[in-house]
Amino acid sequence: MLLKGQAGWYKDAIIYQVHVRSFSDSNGDGIGDFQGLAQRLDYVQELGVTAIWVMPFCPSPLRDDGYDISDYRSVHPSYGTLEDFKAFLSGAHDRGIRVIIEMVANHTSDQHPWFLESRASRDNPKRDWYVWSDTDTGYRGTRIIFLDTEMSNWAWDPISKSYYWHRFFSHQPDLNYDNPAVREEMWNAMKFWLELGVDGFRLDAVPYLIEREGTSCENLPETHEVIRELRKKVDDHFPGAMLLAEANQWPADLRPYFGDGDEFHMAFHFPLMPRMFMGLRLEDRKPITEILQQTPEIPASCQWCLFLRNHDELTLEMVTDIERDYMYDLYARDKAMRLNLGIRRRLAPLLDNDRRRIELMNGMLMSLPGTPIIYYGDEIGMGDNIYLGDRHGVRTPMQWSGGWNGGFSTADPESLYSPPILNPVYGYPAVNVLSQKRSEHSLLSWMKHIIQIRRSSPVFGSGSIEFLYPANHRVLAYVRQLGKETVLVVNNLSSAAQAVELDLRRYKGNILIEMFGRNVFPRIGDLPYLLTIGPFQFYWFRLRRI
Amino acid sequence: MAEEMLLTDDFLRQLINVGEVDILVGLRTHNNANTIEPVIRAIQTGILQCFPRERVGIVNADGGSQDKTPELIVGASIDDVWSVSKVYALRTLHSISTRYATSPEPGTALRTILAAADLLHAKACVVFSPDSTTIEPDWLQRLVRPVYNDNFDLVSPIYRRQKFEGALIQNLLYPMTRAIYGYRVREPYASEFAISGRLASDFLNKESWNDESSRLGAEIHLTVAALTGTYRVCQSFLGSKAQDRGASDLVAAMRRTVGALFSSLDSDFPLWSTISGSQLVPTLGAQSEVVMEPARVNRKRLREMFATGVAQLEPVFRSILSESTLSELQRIATLEVSEFNYPADLWAKTVFEFAASYHKSVISRDHIVQALVPLYRGRTLTFLLENRDGSGEDIERNLESLCGDFERLKPYLLEVWADRK
Repeated sequence: MLLKGQAGWYKDAIIYQVHVRSFSDSNGDGIGDFQGLAQRLDYVQELGVTAIWVMPFCPSPLRDDGYDISDYRSVHPSYGTLEDFKAFLSGAHDRGIRVIIEMVANHTSDQHPWFLESRASRDNPKRDWYVWSDTDTGYRGTRIIFLDTEMSNWAWDPISKSYYWHRFFSHQPDLNYDNPAVREEMWNAMKFWLELGVDGFRLDAVPYLIEREGTSCENLPETHEVIRELRKKVDDHFPGAMLLAEANQWPADLRPYFGDGDEFHMAFHFPLMPRMFMGLRLEDRKPITEILQQTPEIPASCQWCLFLRNHDELTLEMVTDIERDYMYDLYARDKAMRLNLGIRRRLAPLLDNDRRRIELMNGMLMSLPGTPIIYYGDEIGMGDNIYLGDRHGVRTPMQWSGGWNGGFSTADPESLYSPPILNPVYGYPAVNVLSQKRSEHSLLSWMKHIIQIRRSSPVFGSGSIEFLYPANHRVLAYVRQLGKETVLVVNNLSSAAQAVELDLRRYKGNILIEMFGRNVFPRIGDLPYLLTIGPFQFYWFRLRRI
Repeated sequence: MAEEMLLTDDFLRQLINVGEVDILVGLRTHNNANTIEPVIRAIQTGILQCFPRERVGIVNADGGSQDKTPELIVGASIDDVWSVSKVYALRTLHSISTRYATSPEPGTALRTILAAADLLHAKACVVFSPDSTTIEPDWLQRLVRPVYNDNFDLVSPIYRRQKFEGALIQNLLYPMTRAIYGYRVREPYASEFAISGRLASDFLNKESWNDESSRLGAEIHLTVAALTGTYRVCQSFLGSKAQDRGASDLVAAMRRTVGALFSSLDSDFPLWSTISGSQLVPTLGAQSEVVMEPARVNRKRLREMFATGVAQLEPVFRSILSESTLSELQRIATLEVSEFNYPADLWAKTVFEFAASYHKSVISRDHIVQALVPLYRGRTLTFLLENRDGSGEDIERNLESLCGDFERLKPYLLEVWADRK
């Protein structure tokens, strides 16, 4: 049932991240569902993306938007049935679109039957499926991730009168991966979905699978053993399926998650994302080039996943204090925009709805080494609602049209799972798919164009990168190369026009062909190649020897 | 013939790469390899600690160094600072250098820096001396913050000096500038200062750059421009200042400073002639006392140089000084060190008579300034004798008295200025 194609498909993929609940409501109950998602597949196909990452949709009390699963082998009733999921999967594959789903492997909901059994008594057979303790003093060296809500990584269970370990919310007890039965059962859950035909998993919160006293309980060797075991099973039984790691770590700590090509196929590059925003505000390439210099080589079969925004806050865990303060001051002056160690805002509001900056950031997303992920709604410049609490403000209904509920649902507006964005700038009457489809100069049309160009060359997905360091630090320039194909990317991070001289002598004799307009630029000679580039503009040049 | 450009194409190319800045740090170097590294390191640390978010560029104007001073400046990486101070640089910091001549000319160097500040739209421009070996990182913010945050246009330094350092400033430049322009700026001829982008641009566009004395004493012209224009001036306490290396060449220093000050009087007469008394300028930071180190000065030699000068230059003095002043100087020249006294009011009259003669160009202006040198030595001897056993407060009291004499006698300056003789 896997979509046929070459191995390593994920390296050339462009991924579209959607939440079933937020995308399209087919039955008018105010909540998005799989039938609705399936009905919108033509739109996803037109956008040009090659894969969909569907956020958690399994049964759940939804106290963490589905990242608190209570049944790993079913579909939450609000989103439809397993049959609906299969129909969606089939529809996606028919259109050449792969489907990646979530595997929330680190923890379950406290309503999961496993946990209910585990807490029932100290001698329950499933007692050892979670991490229990008589005290709350273990693993002291472990940081608390949700600083705004949690005081400890231990929570008291009044039923079994002991403490259980949780790295996230206290209603999300961590599974005990030292227990082989847990590992086997999680593999069975993954096998269930792979047999249905899904193309890959995003594994949530992977650094925290194993705990050891005297450590930070993150990135432990034993965790890597669990991953290698899982990967082998995937390769043995479902070759071509992809595993994507969510590990919010520094590049050097992330590198082991690729192993020798025998752990994850892909991993999110978390530290790059805030530095792209930082570089844009500083008008200085330094944060971007520095973090990419610190990024180690990964096995040829592996790939970074790049993103600008997603369903979570713009995480600032992987930045220094001075950088975090800067980011808060520049991007989240209103304290309501901040959550944990991050900023809960969408792309367009972060960039003051400045079309030039939105395009530049997407241009970098599409041209830096890695597989880009587009968060639903960012392709039309959707806004956010920072007053909705937690991260709900960036998970509002997709804006399809200027009509009733923005075309998301026929339900009464009051019954929607979340109020749609209504303000005059970002509200659905102003920002929606229908109106943007009618304009060839809309952000949506531009996004389709850049995706098309990105897909026109494998150099972006699989090519090498070499940074040029022109003396003008406001210009970020790099050469992507794969085989005989060479692409020069020049980004102006400044709000002012810039002149830049590029040392392209090693490409002497080539002419530059600008990939968006296909215009020819002068041939490269011995002298530094002088370019002038407008505010927040970028160029992609294909080099041709002709 | 092609018009000669202040900025070379290569320097212009470097400026394009620096781009717009918030703060421009200027250096004027000439064979400063022995001292430049701690200066650069302090500046970089100051940037990281106090202005981590601001766009800063370091621009060096070099007068033909043979000791690789520019290379040391350009090659100093801000990332090296991290390993010492553990402060992380958010931004790229450009350090660029241009060679404006084969021999140093402070005015041209300053003009180059101001042109860079103007082109890069710097909100604040701060200039540091390349031989300020006592510089601390926080000097940067002490000078820049008043401009950057509080909209001052000129921030002049106040140093923690040794007891007998800065004699030329204390005996002539400060009291004279204060009496003429009515503001109490302690370092009117500062090698370190900060100015606003507005003042930098305005001063850059002044015609006076064509005048040699203006180029030589550009700093004092800058101070005067700030005091006489619609600019906000303040002072900021820095710290200990090591003796300027060049201070030993007294004649050159006098030409550069006193000559420039006299020159400014010509063009600014309408502005200063109506001013009487003086007012304080805002002074920021914590004042530190003078360092009470014993003076190692050959007083006998000073007296001899004074006496010889008075004797040998008598024909010159006759065209510069009044009868009464000259005869009084001749009397003092006969005194032994133990009873030597060149009184403050006589010194003020002497200086004013020199200024008026300079204005009238009774002889070559350069010769007038040079002729003042032996007299200044006599006044310095009195300054040393007066303050030999004095405390910091005593020195300050004597200085205030001297300034009072300059202010009180300012009508005398107007009188001799207008005198057609």
